[in-house]
Amino acid sequence: MARPLLHRSPIPGLGISAGITITLLSLVVLLPIGALLLKGATAGPDRLWTEVNTPRIWAALWLSFRLSFLAATFNLIFGTALAWVLARYRFPGRRLIDAAVDLPFALPTAVAGIALTALYAPNGAFGALAKDLGFKIAYTPVGIFIALVFVGLPFVSRTVQPVIDEIEREVEEASATLGATRAQTFRHVILPMLAPAALTGFALALARAVGEYGSVIFIAGNLPMQTEIAPLLIVIKLEEFNYDGATAIGITMLMISFALLLFINAIQVWSRRRIGYV
Amino acid sequence: MHIEIDEISKTFGTTAALAPVTLAIPSGALVALLGPSGSGKTTLLRILGGLEFPTSGRVLFDGSDATGLTVQQRRAGFVFQSYALFRHMTVFDNIAYGLNARPRANRPTKPEIARRVTRLLDLIQLPDIGARYPSQLSGGQRQRVALARALAIEPRMLLLDEPFGALDAKVRKELRQGLRDIHDTTGLTTVFVTHDQDEAMELADLVVVMSMGRIEQIGKPQDLRARPATPFVREFLGA
Amino acid sequence: MSDAPATFRSATEETPRVRRLLIGSVLIVLALLLFAPLVTVFYEALRKGWWEAVSSLGDPESQAAIRLTLTVATIAVPLNAIFGIAAAWLITKYDFRGKAILLTLIDLPFSVSPVVVGLCVVLTFGANTWIGGLLTTAGYPVVFALPGIVLASMIVTFPFVARELIPVMVEQGRAEEEAALTLGASGWRTFRTVTLPNIRWALLYGVLLCNARAMGEFGAVAVVSGKIRGQTSTMPITIEMLYNEYLSVAAFTLAVVLAFLAFLTLGLKTLLEIRHADQLAATRRH
Repeated sequence: MARPLLHRSPIPGLGISAGITITLLSLVVLLPIGALLLKGATAGPDRLWTEVNTPRIWAALWLSFRLSFLAATFNLIFGTALAWVLARYRFPGRRLIDAAVDLPFALPTAVAGIALTALYAPNGAFGALAKDLGFKIAYTPVGIFIALVFVGLPFVSRTVQPVIDEIEREVEEASATLGATRAQTFRHVILPMLAPAALTGFALALARAVGEYGSVIFIAGNLPMQTEIAPLLIVIKLEEFNYDGATAIGITMLMISFALLLFINAIQVWSRRRIGYV
Repeated sequence: MHIEIDEISKTFGTTAALAPVTLAIPSGALVALLGPSGSGKTTLLRILGGLEFPTSGRVLFDGSDATGLTVQQRRAGFVFQSYALFRHMTVFDNIAYGLNARPRANRPTKPEIARRVTRLLDLIQLPDIGARYPSQLSGGQRQRVALARALAIEPRMLLLDEPFGALDAKVRKELRQGLRDIHDTTGLTTVFVTHDQDEAMELADLVVVMSMGRIEQIGKPQDLRARPATPFVREFLGA
Repeated sequence: MSDAPATFRSATEETPRVRRLLIGSVLIVLALLLFAPLVTVFYEALRKGWWEAVSSLGDPESQAAIRLTLTVATIAVPLNAIFGIAAAWLITKYDFRGKAILLTLIDLPFSVSPVVVGLCVVLTFGANTWIGGLLTTAGYPVVFALPGIVLASMIVTFPFVARELIPVMVEQGRAEEEAALTLGASGWRTFRTVTLPNIRWALLYGVLLCNARAMGEFGAVAVVSGKIRGQTSTMPITIEMLYNEYLSVAAFTLAVVLAFLAFLTLGLKTLLEIRHADQLAATRRH
């Protein structure tokens, strides 16, 4: 027996809430994404492929993806440590730090972009230090990496912290009574419990970094084949009125986003089934 | 292993959870710490297991001072009220955990560990659940797995915190008998905490009645019934 | 009689050395990564002194940018709030199939690059599209004009309010609304007097985040606005333009204004988390 499409409910407001929801959803999400996909369809897969299949674009996609992956990995490790410190330890300024971790969420990307560039450019505080030591940060992939770490900073920490809060002390105590050292307890009991949340945060940070524009565009240097990020290429194609090209790259990035969304979903499903929670 | 509790007290901040108590537990006994909530019985149990440190006093295992031993060093099998099974591990891995955690020198080989786990699964009468996860088990099954896990480390004593608390009456009865059987089989000194006086009276060789951080009376179940030492004991047992 | 050794450590704590190491390294990384850029923003803005900085805000370009950003936020945020309330009501008060799909669609803008969002708007409403062409000739251009910027900002901040409201409303259940109905209250009255008071802190929280992002959006607006000075240049866009022209004091001063907005947002957010944790989504509670 199939579940009915909609249970009848005595609570009023179905019409208006559904109306507003569907109208705005269509206007704001479905229509624009639909236009992108439609444009892609009318251009045809061959045309799209021709547009994308250039060394420059592959270089940009590869740059964006691998630096995002590295940044998300850094954030995975650092974010877990950060979450642990904030959840378990008490020290002066903890509340302030806790609030500050959300800064990359609240700070406009352009502000972060110019700030990081000013800091790491050869005449900036850290950039000058690097110059004395013989290497460049801004306008190189290293600079991009730092910017991507910045934007992804809160993701892992924020998803892992609540899970740490929910770990029952008794489980840690049980591990100790069974003879495990603190390090063993951490490795075999605590970390596995944090893994689904940490991986989710990792994927979220990765998705954000791959599409990031404002924080990166200033520090990137934007040399084709070297320090050019994928979103910039979309902007360039649009400025050239090459809508097919922009669409091709846009759809590629959309597919990457979808893949990451599916991955996140898979983690949640697996985790719920295996250990009964997320 | 016989246990001596020598003037153990515990204060949390300004609250005195345990007034200085003294208690001798003979080797191989099955002892109940019985009392209402707030009586200090769980605190005393946790001090025995090393999970709390006493404010004063000492604990002696077989005559030697064990007060400074870490939790890991005590080899006290502990069964928690919530069982505290490792949700992300199978039953098998849960039970094998303590053996796997041993330093390489003392660790049995993998086949040997498997053999011991299988034996324990038989002991708790759940031979087929090794591959399941805790979320797939009933409350009674989880309790038994927690017991097996604690037994796996070849403990010197067994400590149980309200082991039958969250289960329904029928399951409780079966598990009570199971605990009695395991105690008789292993001969381990066993201490369990309960607020259920039927349970204490039925199971234990020795009952320690506690209230407000103090020991009201210690004795065999029939002696306590026959000769309650204080009004509290009379009321608590008479109810 | 032995005393407690001074070094007793509970079974669930790390050694003090490990603790100090962790706290130390976390703080160092945060100082380098988070606080240093913040300090830089202020330093660069005030490099040539207070007066230079403050007076740069008086430039017609900066003024227009501030006005435009405020206008965009004033339109986009309430609209998204209304959507958030409607969607949360729909999802939590009724049972129907396809809720998962609906939730995924609502969350979609989160995982899409802002530049792709801008691209989508251009492809939907650009002058050479069917709808766009019609609107432009009718005198209501979308791209390179305010509506486009508002739309782009709406898209990127679309899920914020809904995401905050839905878990809270799920937790609160339907019982109170049902009770109000049995007492004879109309739908509107129930919503106004029963639901709204219960969700007001979650709503405020969502609006705060939505606003911060809407005012700070860069990538999507960069694509859609055409960056026409004085007309379609929001604050972030103007910051970019000033920076690229080496007018760093002006650029960083505008950045300071936005940074203050970020501080305000974070401050209010923290206040809400402390004071009204019980009425926020579970993951917000500290």
